[in-house]
Amino acid sequence: MTFSYSDAPYPVREDIKQAHKKFWGNLAQPGSWWTGAQRIAIAAEVRNAVDCEYCQERKSALSPFTVSGKHRQDGILDETAVNTVHQIVTDQGRITQAFVDDAAQQGLTKEHYVELTGIVVAVFSIDEFNRALGVAPEALPQAVAGDPSHYRPEHVSSDTGFVPMIPVDGAVGNERDLWPTGRSANVVRALTLVPNALRDWFSLASAQYLSLAGMSNLIRDDNRSINRMQMELIAGRVSAINQCFY
Amino acid sequence: MLRASASVTETSIDIQGINGDITAAAKGIEFGPELMRFAESLARRNEQALADARGELLHIAGPAVLVDAAGVAANFQRMVRIADATGIPVDNLANDVSQKIRKELDLDSFSSAKNSLETASS
Repeated sequence: MTFSYSDAPYPVREDIKQAHKKFWGNLAQPGSWWTGAQRIAIAAEVRNAVDCEYCQERKSALSPFTVSGKHRQDGILDETAVNTVHQIVTDQGRITQAFVDDAAQQGLTKEHYVELTGIVVAVFSIDEFNRALGVAPEALPQAVAGDPSHYRPEHVSSDTGFVPMIPVDGAVGNERDLWPTGRSANVVRALTLVPNALRDWFSLASAQYLSLAGMSNLIRDDNRSINRMQMELIAGRVSAINQCFY
Repeated sequence: MLRASASVTETSIDIQGINGDITAAAKGIEFGPELMRFAESLARRNEQALADARGELLHIAGPAVLVDAAGVAANFQRMVRIADATGIPVDNLANDVSQKIRKELDLDSFSSAKNSLETASS
């Protein structure tokens, strides 16, 4: 059974199992801009990136452009998509506006880029949870046939970051569930060019960390065995090692 | 958020735990050094250190803490990649608290700081 964690030496919280299982179900479905098969191919590239020697050489180079080579890859996605997946997994701190714009010139539109990013970070995070516990990664799901919806939110703006996002006052209509309080933050808006990518991360974050509402509790969530300070020490240390300014 | 949580709970902490200072992590945070080593070994992809840190945390804090810590660490492995892949700037860069913490932790030296600092100066 998917994400039963029956091979884990420790009991895994039920809500974490359910969140991971739910994402795996979404992963297999056609998305907004990628088919189910392509979405699973992106997930497979996440796993290739982790052991990609070319990525390791590039990361250790003063400039990634001084190193030539080929990524470890399955050959299902085109080179631009593969390179983008590997960059996000292994050297995300050196992604620039030019990198995203160049990818768009090569056919990876901003919509494709955002959905790909959402898949990459979700799969990577689930795999990291398993690795943290010493549990093997879950087998990837079988793709569900069908075409992408090509859904694009009605209100987007390009005044923040590398990709268009829904403005703080733009979560209306089909997107009204994204921040019902009317308040938002850039990290919440980041993937909103593909609203389901944000919904996926809300779902995963609610189980792995805290729900958006739960983040206002700075003391302790009753359903967690660690308090907020302990959570933020972990969060801060991971972010510092990843050189994350945000 | 660490500082905010400590403030609300009136706990004295040393924020340098985030920079890997074991002594600082131990101050005011239960299992602080063990949680820090666990998070660090995961993010650095040091498998032997991760196995050691996992065992250490399990031994001292138990399986429920280990699982919840794994969830938080995995979550923030995702968040840093969302932030950097989309180039978002920090929301409250000019805030006094934000500026103080940036200085204390030398955050402006991080590669992804450019996404916020360039936005603020433009």
